Order: sequence, then C-alpha cells, then structure tokens
Amino acid sequence: MSSHDVAEFLRDVRLFQAFSDDDRAALARALRERTVRKGQVLFRENDQGAEMYLVRRGTLVVSKAVTGPVEQILARMGPGDFVGEMSLFDRAPRSATIQADAAADAWLLVLDRASLETLIDANPRAAASFFHALVQVFIERMRASSDLVAEVTRWGLEATGLDVEGR
Amino acid sequence: MTEPVAPRRAKLELLVRKPAVDGAEEAFEVREIRSAVAFVQLRPQRVEPDAFELAEVSSRVSGNRNFILKNRLTERYLLLSEPERFLWDQMDGQTSLQDLATAYVLRYGEFNFEIIPSLIRKLQRAQLLVLTPASRLRKALARNRARHLVKMLENALLVLERVNISSRSVDGFFRALYRFGGFLFFTRMAAALCVLLAIAGGVAGVRLWNDAAQVADSLGANPVLALLAVKLLFLFTVAAHQLLHGLALVHYGRRVREFGFTFLHGFVPTFYVDVTDVFMTSRRARVVTAVSGALVHLVLGSLWFLVAVQASPGFLQGFAAASGMIQWQAFVIALYPFCFIEMDGYHVLVDVLGVPTLKSDAMGYAGALIRGRAAAPATREEWLWIGYVVLSVVSIAAFAAFNVWLIVHAS
Repeated sequence: MSSHDVAEFLRDVRLFQAFSDDDRAALARALRERTVRKGQVLFRENDQGAEMYLVRRGTLVVSKAVTGPVEQILARMGPGDFVGEMSLFDRAPRSATIQADAAADAWLLVLDRASLETLIDANPRAAASFFHALVQVFIERMRASSDLVAEVTRWGLEATGLDVEGR
Repeated sequence: MTEPVAPRRAKLELLVRKPAVDGAEEAFEVREIRSAVAFVQLRPQRVEPDAFELAEVSSRVSGNRNFILKNRLTERYLLLSEPERFLWDQMDGQTSLQDLATAYVLRYGEFNFEIIPSLIRKLQRAQLLVLTPASRLRKALARNRARHLVKMLENALLVLERVNISSRSVDGFFRALYRFGGFLFFTRMAAALCVLLAIAGGVAGVRLWNDAAQVADSLGANPVLALLAVKLLFLFTVAAHQLLHGLALVHYGRRVREFGFTFLHGFVPTFYVDVTDVFMTSRRARVVTAVSGALVHLVLGSLWFLVAVQASPGFLQGFAAASGMIQWQAFVIALYPFCFIEMDGYHVLVDVLGVPTLKSDAMGYAGALIRGRAAAPATREEWLWIGYVVLSVVSIAAFAAFNVWLIVHAS
C-alpha cells in the first residue's frame, strides 16, 4: 500500500480527521503495515509494548483473562478503530489480549512511540487535535465499559436467580 | 395495542482458547452464554443440616401437609408447601434446576415451574441456600488444570460435549414413519412375533453356547478388534432404539420434540429422542414408550443368534453371535434399573415406585453413610436407597466380570 493510500485511509480514522493533508502524509510515512492472520494473537495481556495499531481491514477481538483458557470479550475493533494506545502512554504492560477475528485476517498500521513523539514535537497543532480526539474516544470507551459492567452484573443476577430486591 | 415485550436476557461473550496441537497455532472459539442457560444449570445447595430445622404442620381441616423451615442461625422461619418441601429435599448441590424441574413434573405432573425460582428467592432471603454453578467432575478437573493430562481431558470433554446434531422439527417425520408402517410395531401380532423371536433367539443362543469355543475361534486372529467392530455396528442400532421410543410416543398421540446425536457426559456417543410429552399421558403409555426401545435389541439380538446358528463355522458366525450377545446385553441393561444409569428400566421403576429422584437420593444417603454422617437405615425409604446402591454395585461388578470373562475366553 502506498503512502498516499495510507494518508487517504487516515482521513477516516477519527484520531486524525482534524489533521491537515500534509500532517496526514507525514504520519503515513511513519506508519508500518502489519498483517495478523485470522485467529492469531497480536499481543497478550501483560506483554510489554510500545506500539499502537490502527485497524485498516478486518476485525480485532479484545479480551481479558477470566479463568484458565476462558477470557471475556470486551470489544471488537473494526476498520478505523485503534488499539494498544494505553501502553504507549503509561508504559505499563498491556491491559488486554488482542487477536484477529477467527473469520478473516486483519490488516493493521503500526504507530510506535518514537514516531508519535516525533509527531508531537514537530507539529504541536496536529498533536493537540490528536489528543482531543483520543480523549473523546476514551470517554466513549469508559461509557462502554460502564455498560459492560452493568450487563455482566445483570448476567450474574439472572444466572444465579439472586433476589436482591427482597433482601 | 402493543404486545408486552419480554425482558431481554443478559448474555456474556466468552473467548475460549484451545491448545495448539501438532505444531499448529493456538486457536480460540467464541461462545455466547445467556444468563437463562446458566440459570437452569445451577445446582442449588441447602445449608448444612445443623443450620436448619424442619417441622411438619398438617391442617386438620383440609388435610394438607405444610412444613416450617427454620434457619437456626438467623432465627428466620419459612412456611413450605409439600411440593416446596419436595424441592427443598432435592437441593443437595448436585441436582441442577433442570433436573429439579424434571423431578417436580414426575412427582406432581405439573408444569408450573415458577414454583422453583420463587422458592429459591424465598430460601435466599432466609439465607438457607448456597448456589454452586458447576458439576463436580468439572470442578475437580478445573482444580487440577495445571496437570497436562487433566487439561487435555477437560478440553476433550468440552469439545465432545458440544457435539450435538439434532433437529426439533422431527414430529412430522415420526408421524409419517408411523403412518407408513410404524403402527405395526404396536399391534398384538408384533408383540406375539417379538415373543416368538425371543424364544427362537434364546434356543439359538443356547445351541451356540454349547459350541462357544468354536464360535469364538471363528472371530479370527483379532477377536478384540472384531468385538470393537460389533460395538460400532451396535451404535447404529441405538438410533433404531430411539426411533421406537418416538414411534411409541406418536402411537399415544403425543409429540416428538427432538431427535439427535450427542456425546453423553462428554464421552458416550449416543442417539437420543425427546419424549417429554409422554408425561401428558397414562402410566401405561409411559411404560410402553420406555420398553419399546429396548425391545429393538431383543429382536435384533434374536435375529443375530438365528443367523449365527444357521451360518457355517467362520467369521460370519462369530460376528453374528457376538452381535447377538451385545444386543441382548443392551436389552438387559436398558431395562435393568439397578446400574446407576438412568435408562428405560430405571424410568419405569421410579415411575412405578413414585420416587423420581431415587438415584440422587440413594447416592446422597450412601455417601453420607460412608462418611459417617448418616444413621443406619431405619425407614422404608432408606432401605430402598440402600437396596438400590447395593444392587447397582453388585450388578455392575457382575457385568464387568462377565465381559472380562468373555474377552479372555475369546482370546
């Protein structure tokens, strides 16, 4: 895929929608391509990492360990979504496992910490729009997480028949 | 006017990893589990015996029996009806809500299952219940998952348990089968033919027994392999067994809900038919439905014995004799109630005795007796439980010994 194609794709990525064409072109040159075969793990919970990934094609499944080989699916990420950004900023181990959906390969674009820092240093205005969009996405994800917690709690109550109202 | 909308059931989406096999990459599968599915698999467990007290209060007016259940720790009291008392007795941590509902139907012939969640809520409020969501086998496997072999076994059971090829639109098929000849199985002529075949088969079996050594020799150089082939062929006759159950149900004007193939407990390949609708009929219909499937093995076994006795000494004779033996064994096992397996004979027995949870109660009592937590049998019920366990243990030992003797003799 050419840099031009990548730059065009970045128009549809929420994080970079406020970027100028030049900023997107510069960013496109800093991104690497990576393909994850269907069902293959991109990274695991507690791995160290210094890269974030933009989904260009396919679906990524985000899961968190529950017990033994069982994990809970937290979200699915499609084209235009991104994953792995948390470790990029807090340098902590990965908080979840990411794998390509079992149905199809996933095509990704990789942004590493060094490239991101270069972008921030070289273009503070683009960096500001990037972080603004990032905060918006974080807020949405926090809301989705709250909904998931409520859903899981409801599941537990229904599955155990626990009578909370009567207590 | 809009119809009331049922509340949406919560669901969990889980990802289950499968270990890499033969250098292949690790894979996973996604399972969606609805809360309702988890609920029916719950195994409610009442609190320890010393934490509650139960007293009977019978009404002298209506004659109804009620019970007062007291939580000794919280000093809370509950009034239980007789059906609720029955359900309370089943809540031993081993019986799932699904089994509880079945036991309730068998005992009271009612389908008002709301009594179960309602009782559970009541018991929870009084802190008289502990809820455990998994089978004991699964718990034991999960505890020892660090061992490679146990993990492999657990994964294998998981995979096999999920194999289920079935259809819920089979009633029409069974009705057509009944119309185009299936009804003949339920005539006096068929019954008479069955008896004649059984007698002829028995005579042939005795004649073969006299030449047992020669017949066994004819299975060739690999008698154990030949026996396994016979067992495999037998599996398909299990489908015929289930078909007969379904036809019997149609004969009594009831509906066949499902027919399929699965791995029972994760490792026993079997065909099955859902004949729950038989509870809407008479006891005679239930007994006929239960027995009709087993008769397939009696008839097939007799036919195999007749083939064997007519055949010249050789592989065909040995194969037919072994098939006849296995079919007759299946007939006995299916109708013999004392073997810890809830097969046709067991269902007839509990139906006749009116004790739908015989096995579960008997096992619980025997376990408590072995651990010294129960008194020696005194009541008729306790003697029934002891009788069931003892007969089952002796029967299984005898059956295993007979099969070992057969294989050794054939070798």
